[in-house]
Amino acid sequence: MASRPVPKIMKQGKFAPWFYLAPALILMFFFIVYPMFNTIGLSFRDSNGEGSAATLCKEEQACWGVFENYRYALTGEIDKTSISAAWKSFWISSFGNTIKWIFLMVSGTVIIGLLFAKLVDGIKHEGLAKAILFMPMAISFVGAGVIWKFVYNYGTQRVQIGILNAIITALGGEPVSFLTATGLNTIALVVVGTWMWTGFCMTILSSSLKSVPEEILEAARVDGANEWHVFTRIIIPIIMPTIIVVITTMVINVLKQFDIVYVMTGGNFHTDVIANRMYTEMYINYNTGRGTAIAVILIMAVLPFIYINIKRFMAQEEMR
Amino acid sequence: MKVKVFCLLAVFVFLLTACAPKSTEPEVVAEVDAMCMGAASGDEISMLYQWSGQEEERLNQILRPLVDTCGIVIKPESTRDQAVLDTRVTAGNPPDIAFWNVTQLNQYKDSLKAMDELGATKEAYIAGAIDPGVIDGRWIGLPVKSDIKTIIWYSPKNFEAAGYMVPTTWEELETLVEKMVADGKVPWSMGMESGDATGWTGSDFLQDILLVQQGPEYVMNIINGSVAYDDAGVKAAYELYGKWAADPKYTVGGAEGTLSTNFNDAILKVFSDPPEAYMVKQSGFAGGTITTQYPDFVFGEDYDFFVIPGAKGLQGGSDWMMAFSDKPAVKALVSYLSSPEGGAAWAKASFDLSPNKGAAGNYTDVSLIKKAEAFYSAEGFTPDIGDTIPGGFGSAEWTAIVNFLNGENLEDALSKAAGVQAEALGK
Repeated sequence: MASRPVPKIMKQGKFAPWFYLAPALILMFFFIVYPMFNTIGLSFRDSNGEGSAATLCKEEQACWGVFENYRYALTGEIDKTSISAAWKSFWISSFGNTIKWIFLMVSGTVIIGLLFAKLVDGIKHEGLAKAILFMPMAISFVGAGVIWKFVYNYGTQRVQIGILNAIITALGGEPVSFLTATGLNTIALVVVGTWMWTGFCMTILSSSLKSVPEEILEAARVDGANEWHVFTRIIIPIIMPTIIVVITTMVINVLKQFDIVYVMTGGNFHTDVIANRMYTEMYINYNTGRGTAIAVILIMAVLPFIYINIKRFMAQEEMR
Repeated sequence: MKVKVFCLLAVFVFLLTACAPKSTEPEVVAEVDAMCMGAASGDEISMLYQWSGQEEERLNQILRPLVDTCGIVIKPESTRDQAVLDTRVTAGNPPDIAFWNVTQLNQYKDSLKAMDELGATKEAYIAGAIDPGVIDGRWIGLPVKSDIKTIIWYSPKNFEAAGYMVPTTWEELETLVEKMVADGKVPWSMGMESGDATGWTGSDFLQDILLVQQGPEYVMNIINGSVAYDDAGVKAAYELYGKWAADPKYTVGGAEGTLSTNFNDAILKVFSDPPEAYMVKQSGFAGGTITTQYPDFVFGEDYDFFVIPGAKGLQGGSDWMMAFSDKPAVKALVSYLSSPEGGAAWAKASFDLSPNKGAAGNYTDVSLIKKAEAFYSAEGFTPDIGDTIPGGFGSAEWTAIVNFLNGENLEDALSKAAGVQAEALGK
């Protein structure tokens, strides 16, 4: 195409784009950038945000100087009497629990979401089946927490109003206190998160499944591949970019997980996660320094996944 | 000129008499001036409190004379979220008045106005009632709504049916508990689940045991840090508590039942048919929980309480009024609530107990009359240990109780809490 001179009105000066961006940038600055730097600043200060965190140090005790709040945030929950005690206490600390959440919930939502998307693909009532799985997304976290608190309810006598314990006792078993039994309770909470988010993963994965070209699948089948091979060797590699986006989004979601834990156990019985611990330090113990230090650690943990997501997004933009 | 002034005065007096028709004219002007402390009609007071529904109606009933006489407009905001108050105070945008816990007095001591400068008098309160509100020598909180915690609720009908007597000494209580267990009955309902505050029911119970076994001075020493939280006395209290709270023979559902039963459900288990347990130790509010569930219940027949025998220095909690502003309308509110009339209005509204001397004798509700009797005849009061020690000790104490009942070794649980206690008090 022969190049034609661009009309002057279509050209932008150096400043015009900034002018259009200004409202968004100003809002972002005041509500995201400034609070973030303020949070980082407060994390190096004492419980009131006044003196330096280094003043909190006590003689003859471990101290990280100005990083004192970080020492508390990272090692405060660890039992330092022996290595095995430290290992054991780590896995019931807020960090250990968050790691459990990431592995269990991300793999749960992505695998179940993908299988479900594939299984209902093209069946008669596909829309209805997907709508049912997606339904929990319409409930707030707090609502879901309250609902599942009833599901897990532990009755003390004859009547079990929690459906799980009602089933267990009807089958002749002893009722289980799901939310107080350490180890079992974190898994019980992860089930709630998975129940809520599987629909989200399924929707995105389902739409990418539908974009896999039919010709490639036909060609594979003609060459003698069975359906399992088609699924694992062809479909999954093609939709891999989408799977990665779903995984990173879910990891960020899980790292921020607060509501379910707060509503269902309040972080008790060794179910604490990072975000709930941050809330406890900030609004129950009124310790700004420690609360913000935990917040900064949480930001650091989320950043790599945001980076992966953005890189992925930019690569896709370039391909267009 | 004279006529004009007279006309104005006449109109003024007429307006005022319209508000308070019983009084004679000149007195009204003086009374109104004294009551309103210079607040003009239409002045606003912003308020933040945790009450809603019937509680809010009762507060409005108490404040009505002030609103009617001075024309002060109350701008209330009701929330149970402490973060709302915290955010507003930190942001420099606090409400004029907040009704909250004693912890907040310590937390916001620099922004709060002194009560004596706002027109309140210490003499208006029963002995010791305002002590927790004096921080660093400044009196900054008005105890408005008090409740006694050191009581046990039971069903007189069930006690009678089983042939049990209300114990009058601590030994009798322990014997009664053992007798119930021997009879194959469950003495306690101790459920304590309360979301992120799970554990407070347990810490109340433990403090009562401490008051019986060690006395109020010991509790005050824990609060000031001279007794560490892992002291032998605290351990003994935990051992007795654990014996009761973790065994299904002594409490409904054993340790799991204690940890996972909501505190309100735990109250009702004593009054179910047939009863799941015979006694529940809970603060005064339990009466409201019972009558909400069973509106036909009669106090003294279907439900009743007794003060824990042998407890020296009851546990009494108050909701505190704190002022972030010293404008005239706030002064009027403070002086009204601390006046004999304010105390009497509080008692008549049946909004729990008031430590204001003016409240005595004005209660109308039978259970409040009995509570007031215990309240006014108490040897003294001790504040809640967890609420009074700053810096996260409250939640550390709950964690210790929860983890102890959930199987953690007692020494470990207590030494962690003692560590937080030492850190908080700078020991």
